[in-house]
Amino acid sequence: MALFRKKQNTEAIQQPQVKLDDTGILDMPFLILVVLLVAIGVVMIFSASYARAYFNTGNSAHYFVRQAIFAVAGVAIMIVVGRLNYFIWYRTATLILLAAILLLVLVPLIGVEHNGAKRWLRLFGIEFQPSEVAKLGMILTFGAMMSVWQDKMSTFQYGVLPYAAILVLIASLLALERHLSATLIIFLIGAVMMFLGGTQKRWFVIGIIALAVFLAIYLAIQGYASQRVTAWLNPESDPSDSGYQIIQSRYAIGSGGFLGLGFGKSRQKYLYLPEEHNDYIFAIVCEELGFVGAVGVILLFVLLILRGYWIAIHARDRFGTLVAAGLITKLAIQVFFNIGVVSNFLPATGISLPFFSYGGTALLLQLFEMGIILSISRWCINKEAWRKKKA
Amino acid sequence: MAKRAKNKPNIRILPARKPKKPYDRERANHGVLRRTTFIMIFCGVLLFIPLIGQLFKLMILEHDKYESQAITNQTRSTSVSASRGLIYDRNMNALAASTTVENVFIDPLEIDRAEHDENRTNEKQTAAFIADGLGKILDVDPGRILELASDVKMRYKIVARKQPREVAEQVRAFINENNLTGIHLENDAQRYYPFGTMAAQVIGFTNAEGRGSEGLEAYYDDTLEGTAGAVITTKGNYETQMLYSYEKYYEATNGNSLVLTIDSTVQFYLEKNLKAAIEKYDVQHGAFAIMMDVNTGAILGMATEGGYDPNNYLEIMDPTVLEELEKLSDQMDHTNKESTEYKELADAYNQQVAAARLSQWRNRCVSDGYEPGSTFKTITLAAALEEGAVDLNNTFYCSGAKDYPDRDDTLHCWNADGHGTESTAQALQNSCNIAFADMGIMLGGEKLYDYIDAFGLMSKTGIDMSGEGWGVFHTKDAMKVNAQLTTVAFGQSIKPTPIAMVRAIAAVVNGGYVLRPYVVSEILDENGNVIQKNGKKVIRQAISEDTSRTMCELIESVVTDGTASNASLPGYRIGGKTGTSEKLDVYDEDGKQTEDKIVSFVGIAPMDKPQYIVLVALDTPSTSTGMYISGGVMAAPVVRDIFSDTLLYLGVQPDYTDVDMSTVNVEMPDVRGYTLADAEQMLGAQSLTYITVGDGAEVTGQIPMAGNMLPGNSQVILYMGQEVPTDKVTVPDFSNMTRAQANAAAVNSGLYLQTKGSTLSRAVVSGQDYEPGTEVPRGTTITAEFTDHTAQD
Repeated sequence: MALFRKKQNTEAIQQPQVKLDDTGILDMPFLILVVLLVAIGVVMIFSASYARAYFNTGNSAHYFVRQAIFAVAGVAIMIVVGRLNYFIWYRTATLILLAAILLLVLVPLIGVEHNGAKRWLRLFGIEFQPSEVAKLGMILTFGAMMSVWQDKMSTFQYGVLPYAAILVLIASLLALERHLSATLIIFLIGAVMMFLGGTQKRWFVIGIIALAVFLAIYLAIQGYASQRVTAWLNPESDPSDSGYQIIQSRYAIGSGGFLGLGFGKSRQKYLYLPEEHNDYIFAIVCEELGFVGAVGVILLFVLLILRGYWIAIHARDRFGTLVAAGLITKLAIQVFFNIGVVSNFLPATGISLPFFSYGGTALLLQLFEMGIILSISRWCINKEAWRKKKA
Repeated sequence: MAKRAKNKPNIRILPARKPKKPYDRERANHGVLRRTTFIMIFCGVLLFIPLIGQLFKLMILEHDKYESQAITNQTRSTSVSASRGLIYDRNMNALAASTTVENVFIDPLEIDRAEHDENRTNEKQTAAFIADGLGKILDVDPGRILELASDVKMRYKIVARKQPREVAEQVRAFINENNLTGIHLENDAQRYYPFGTMAAQVIGFTNAEGRGSEGLEAYYDDTLEGTAGAVITTKGNYETQMLYSYEKYYEATNGNSLVLTIDSTVQFYLEKNLKAAIEKYDVQHGAFAIMMDVNTGAILGMATEGGYDPNNYLEIMDPTVLEELEKLSDQMDHTNKESTEYKELADAYNQQVAAARLSQWRNRCVSDGYEPGSTFKTITLAAALEEGAVDLNNTFYCSGAKDYPDRDDTLHCWNADGHGTESTAQALQNSCNIAFADMGIMLGGEKLYDYIDAFGLMSKTGIDMSGEGWGVFHTKDAMKVNAQLTTVAFGQSIKPTPIAMVRAIAAVVNGGYVLRPYVVSEILDENGNVIQKNGKKVIRQAISEDTSRTMCELIESVVTDGTASNASLPGYRIGGKTGTSEKLDVYDEDGKQTEDKIVSFVGIAPMDKPQYIVLVALDTPSTSTGMYISGGVMAAPVVRDIFSDTLLYLGVQPDYTDVDMSTVNVEMPDVRGYTLADAEQMLGAQSLTYITVGDGAEVTGQIPMAGNMLPGNSQVILYMGQEVPTDKVTVPDFSNMTRAQANAAAVNSGLYLQTKGSTLSRAVVSGQDYEPGTEVPRGTTITAEFTDHTAQD
């Protein structure tokens, strides 16, 4: 920690010379896109979970009400976080990462199991996935380290080793959870951030080769993973078990057609499609809102992602750039994987759709991250004003 | 790192190591932004292009495919079963009808999912609970239900079929009380046959799936079945309701009903008399009978004895087979279940069961050929007369045996003494084999073959019943050779089906018309409207009406003067032809041809205007009865009894004008209280005479009692004031008495004697209805059957 208090290093991140209040408003396009997606997500939760909620609890609005409360709270948190000086994340990055690693260690010990996977922790009545915290901690830490050592990124000592060590540590903890998708995402985000931070390209070549070898071994060892591949390529081979979900998902997506069955009129949500308000909610979006609606939602995500990178590019400092880019890359990867899996473009992995999938803490964390991007955005908006004041 | 940052020399070294590459912040920033832009394009745009492409493929290009698959996935089709049509006899008595029952089935997948659902609230929703509960209600082993439920990929496992409504209600109550899912009921139809075994092989039965599988049920399956309807509803998984659902109803079309030409009364008498004959002659291999309208081809009755109950068609009814099966299963009980011997026994058992079932389901009247024997002589004679090869003036000579060129063995007549010189008519009356062999040669093999074909014996009759078989005949070339021709001419070495034979002889007497026989006269829709009518269908004319008329006279003379006198029935002009044949292709265990014989008789009534034809065949009567095994002795009386039971019912009035009234039963009137003159008139009306006892003014008593049946021309006793004797008399043994002897014996005992059967003087009593030695009231009528035992064909 002492490292970041040294003057020569803090130079890397240009401390604002003015009060936070003066640094302008949040980036409105980004904020509006997030709120819009959250709103659509919550409404779709209502439609998608209607039948399941009634079947499981007798209250059709059961999941909707919970998600809506978290959405409102999450948007509030996002705005509050947006108004903070993101320098605090620079200072606490390693702390957050260490905390996340500690939580990951706890998972195999006192974790909560859902659908046969032990990936959740319940602390103080709140249930969450430590892997999500780990992703955030990693992005912040990488951002901090890369901005501090921005002039040494071309070396192995500063440009590869620390990040690789962190990635391997987190990945091995995730391997204990048998959480392939989170491992994959962490590696992808880490790789993107290293690429942005300036790690030399040859390391990526080595990394890709290592990844390929690892994947080959993994697939050879993990029976359930190769079964996933079979189910992906030929779901009809086991229609009532491993192929069931993807077949049901295709029914939902395919029957949507161009304009969809109409909002609320999904048939597959009547307990045919498992996880219909969760990982597979996008299939219900397709079924009800059609190709038009589905592409519309994807376009909103695309706009949000592009705006996120725009903020990263226009960030005040290297830390801001890297963190904003890291967070928005995480979002993009999750959207890509989720929709890819739901539409059978990719083999099944348990990645939820940001803002849409049911899950309160995940939504809170997601909006928290959007808040960080918003806080970074504040400077780019008022860049000129800030420069003048500095001058 | 913090330490190293403090280390000043280290800072000095750093620029020294890389003097040519000072860190250029602007350039580095530019590099970061360039790379971020690259990632922005990649993650913000490029990643999503394939996804949109994939969605386009699924949602637009393959929309129809997945939509239809999805709809199949989301809809439940509940079939609305069509009720199967009824089968009526010609008087609209239902011979086959259906009731609604229910099948109970489970959905193992649904049960499994519900049981292992995380959010399950119903503790009773387990396979074990369901198995236990259903097992109790349906009387099924719960272990068996658990086994069915363990096949969790299946959605339809029948637990119990065809449960009556009360049981189905119990199942429903069980489901509702315990709030269970995964147990379902579906309607099914149970076929039932109110008359049981009657006409079983004609009607057939429906199998477990409700499909007609034998007889008319099979032949008219599509007509009877109707079209099942369906209700198609969208349903959520686990049968949950959908908020937006649609429902489509396809109405079921009920099956059509059949009205048969079969008359259950006639059928009853056919079967009753066959059963009696089997009993009386100890017939070994069953018997069959057909009664047909000679002018239309309508079948009034068709019976195969050795049948089954279509209500329980798997049950074997043949007592001999049952005995053998019993033995086998006994043996199996005493054999080690692992041994090969046990396996062999089990195989034998199963084979016997299967064979016995097939055999009892078989309608021998249409499916199998049989040996018609001398009944076939009518065909040879009709052909010869039609062709002019023979006329009524021909004479034949039978010495008992004759050799023919091209025939290796000597042809023996059934009467080894020979029939001597006979006219054409006598040749038929005597059923003389040699005369008919001669006739065959006079006609020629090719011609005989053509007539056999013309009479439709070689082809299927086209009767509307399943499983009709073909007859077995020689080829035309083979018929040119005397060896075959002489044999076929008197009815040996051929096997037509019984129905074809009946149709051929019907053609002989009906003016020569070969008909298509039929059993279904009308097809009714569910509202009873006639939608199809079957009737007489002439296929061709085989002989002229003149020849047919001549044949009628000749055939009648066989009963009045020939081998078929045992078929005569007072008041009716019966014609017919007897037949006795060794079975051709039955071999015993040593491969030797058995002595099995089929005796048969084809009778026609009334001969002045032929209306009904009856064929009765008894397969292998036992030699143990001591009677001569022949169609004349055994089958002719059965046909006579059938005619006696049915002709009046069918509206054929007896004509007693030329009949000896003593062979007809009349009813004793009640003449008590009348004057003698009145009594005389009343008795005269019944062709009865009287003697009086006492001299009172009016009749005070009578023998026999009023209402008793007694032969016409009998003398009754009227008591004019005298006491009527109430003593009993003993029934004498009439066996083998001639008519005169029997009458005398009856008068001696104070009894009346009614006769039936042969009226020829050489006929003797072969049976009586009261056992000898029985004590009966004075004046009782004893019926004795007279048989002409010389009718050895």
